[in-house]
Amino acid sequence: MSTSAPVRARMTPRQSLALVWRTLRSMRTALILLFLLAMASVVGSLIPQIPNSPERAASYQVEHPFWGGFFRRAGFFDVFGSWWFALIATLLFVSLVACLLPRTRAHLRTIRQPPVQARELDAFPQYAQRRVSAQPDMAIALSQKLLRRKLFRVQRAPGALAAEKGIAREFGSLLFHWAFLLILVGAVYGKGTGFTGRTAIVEGEAWTDARANYDGQIRTGRFFSGDFSGTQVGLLDFADSYRRTGQPMDFVSRIELADAQGNPLGHTDVRVNHPAEVNGVRIFQYGYGWAPVITIRDGDRVLFDGPVIFTQDPAPEGVGQLALPWRGVVKLPSLDPQVGLEVILWPDFYAYLRFQATGQPVPMTEAHDPFITIQAYRGSLTSPSLSGLETATMTTWEDAFVGQGQTKELGEDGNGGMLTVSFPELRQYSVFQVSRDRGVWIVLVAAILILLGLMPALYTSRRKVWVRAKPDGDATLLRVGGLALQRKEQFEEEFAKLVDELARVCGEPVAVEPERAGAR
Amino acid sequence: MTAMTTLQWARLSDRLFDAAVLTYLVAMVGYAIYLGFRTNAAWAAARAVTVVGLGMHLTSIVARTVAAGRVPWGNMWEFSSLLAFLVVLGYLVIVEGVYKVRTLGAFPLIFSAVTMGVARIFGFYVAPGPLVPALNSYWLKIHVLAAIVGSSLYALGGGVLTILYLVKAAAERREAAALGSRPVPPVMGASQDLADPPHFVAGADDPVGETTARRRRGVLPPSAVLDRMAYRTIAVGFPIWTFAVIAGAVWAQEAWGRYWGWDPKETWAFITWVIYAGYLHARATSGWKGTRAAVVALVGFVSLLVTYYAVNLFIVSLHGYAK
Repeated sequence: MSTSAPVRARMTPRQSLALVWRTLRSMRTALILLFLLAMASVVGSLIPQIPNSPERAASYQVEHPFWGGFFRRAGFFDVFGSWWFALIATLLFVSLVACLLPRTRAHLRTIRQPPVQARELDAFPQYAQRRVSAQPDMAIALSQKLLRRKLFRVQRAPGALAAEKGIAREFGSLLFHWAFLLILVGAVYGKGTGFTGRTAIVEGEAWTDARANYDGQIRTGRFFSGDFSGTQVGLLDFADSYRRTGQPMDFVSRIELADAQGNPLGHTDVRVNHPAEVNGVRIFQYGYGWAPVITIRDGDRVLFDGPVIFTQDPAPEGVGQLALPWRGVVKLPSLDPQVGLEVILWPDFYAYLRFQATGQPVPMTEAHDPFITIQAYRGSLTSPSLSGLETATMTTWEDAFVGQGQTKELGEDGNGGMLTVSFPELRQYSVFQVSRDRGVWIVLVAAILILLGLMPALYTSRRKVWVRAKPDGDATLLRVGGLALQRKEQFEEEFAKLVDELARVCGEPVAVEPERAGAR
Repeated sequence: MTAMTTLQWARLSDRLFDAAVLTYLVAMVGYAIYLGFRTNAAWAAARAVTVVGLGMHLTSIVARTVAAGRVPWGNMWEFSSLLAFLVVLGYLVIVEGVYKVRTLGAFPLIFSAVTMGVARIFGFYVAPGPLVPALNSYWLKIHVLAAIVGSSLYALGGGVLTILYLVKAAAERREAAALGSRPVPPVMGASQDLADPPHFVAGADDPVGETTARRRRGVLPPSAVLDRMAYRTIAVGFPIWTFAVIAGAVWAQEAWGRYWGWDPKETWAFITWVIYAGYLHARATSGWKGTRAAVVALVGFVSLLVTYYAVNLFIVSLHGYAK
């Protein structure tokens, strides 16, 4: 360069861009970004996250109005979906690519290029010379054979060898780093084109994979095209088993599958940790509960007939979830005034009495002699949700107590007819998580590549060896130089052994001349 | 001899657990004497006692396995026990076995005794029993085992050896300053041969020279040796930890239908991973070598403790059943 005046003029756009690029490429930037990523994750693990626990995130904002408001504006309640987390991740990936491109180009060049001959062997950190009996050409040929057997790449010149080993280190390192981009691709593709939803299916009923059937309990990816599989899932039965201690042992849903046209696809069991897979959709055992079949008649007219999905309120601190009572709601909007029923399910009379006496619920793991208690309300049904009952706008009406198989009178409907409630049957329901992620395999392959790349990247080292042979009186002088780019102290031992072996294959030393320079 | 009942196996396991802690404490005293006075007999005795302690500890773990009828890493009590066991074993294999350094035994033993003591005092103990269905998975067993092995290597390399490195490096700088010479460059890694001595050799435990202050120097091995041991231990731990995270993701995919969900445990395992990835990169970066990289490794160790203890005990997580 002949520019003599290094005037600090304003940088051209091109120069600024080059500076930004260089900065992004530097390891320092990558390190800072890595630590920023870690810090952001710390925030995300300490503050309740909306995607993981929406109730806790909401109650936090109620309990701490000031910090809650600040956290909400800063996106701290959804760190991993926030713009600044995406920014850190994006910068990290850009920095990664900026670093990987030149390294990959250089590595490809290294692979293509044969090892280069050296000028001065004795200038290398490792150097040794031996007198051997083989002729120079023969000694070079024998050395080449030995080095090849030791998996060196060898380049031969007249009277000289250049050998090199350990390219796997850089290859592994590059594989490891590129694989992260593959994870990104797999995650974006899989999440973007997939969906995750939840549905409850009562024993004996069937359900079809279609948007409306998720009742809003679904999250779809950004590029999801609405192509639900239409798969039909029928729950034959659900079985839960417990140990004597009340610890759950196993949950199994026996399901029957059929394709969108109704052609049967066979039976299968869905267990915790053992999802079913059909038409690219995976079905996971997510939860379960009780669904009493309730029939309500107004005289001879059937107002309601079918299984009602009962749920439990979230357990307060220190109470087992199983111990909470199962509740359900039945609405009778066709009556005037409208009627809403709050129903509680009890496993047997003992559990009911015990709760009345002590306030301690009994976990309902089995139903020996189930019955339901009903509290009826009259007024107008305002809650739009299927399972919600807004009783504030209603007045308390009748109550009832119905054992399984019984029919009880609830009260007069207002037009002189009698409302009756039957509880013919108790069923269970299974909650399934249904999801499709076509990118899982890409992510899995990437994860395997990460592990495969890590091994050579951490445990191998690149080293080079040069050999020269020239006549020395009636024998041959074998000169060996060596250089390790990493793990130098280990190479010292390896080099000494290698020289011994080279001398041995080229014939025992003619005259003892142990002029080994050793490490320099 | 009649066959032992489950309860008897459980009791045997508990008694041997306590006995192992006491044995480690005795061995620790022996190692401390060797560290201070280089009495060979103290080392030989300490090592023998450590091996006996390991034997009892292993028997405790095996008895627990028999009592529970499953792999012995199903809850926090069992993790703690296995972690402590592996740290002591790792010390014997890596530090005494590979590097022939015999002075440092007291430190990993402190770590293990404290880990086991914490498990005892803070009531992690639960009677051996079967696992809930969500934990009953092939992948989970692999995931947890890898996590414990990785943790033990991080605890040894990123915790114990790194703290010792920082102490020694500071001492070396002070001594060099007292001698008025330039400090020995605290090179981590392999760029300078001077600070990169060959494999540890016999006699290397001996105190090195005398300073002008006539104070004995070199109670601890040179910082470069501590650094190399710490690095190699972490470098073995890192792929295992990576594998643990991947196996956990495979299991999460099977159990919950998503391989990654930013659950606090996942998040902290990721944070620990990121910090140790940062450490490995820092060692290859000028200006970050030496003390700075060691501080990163230490931060990684703190992150490991959070991943292990704080997430299980204080943060609401899908991994809450690990209590």
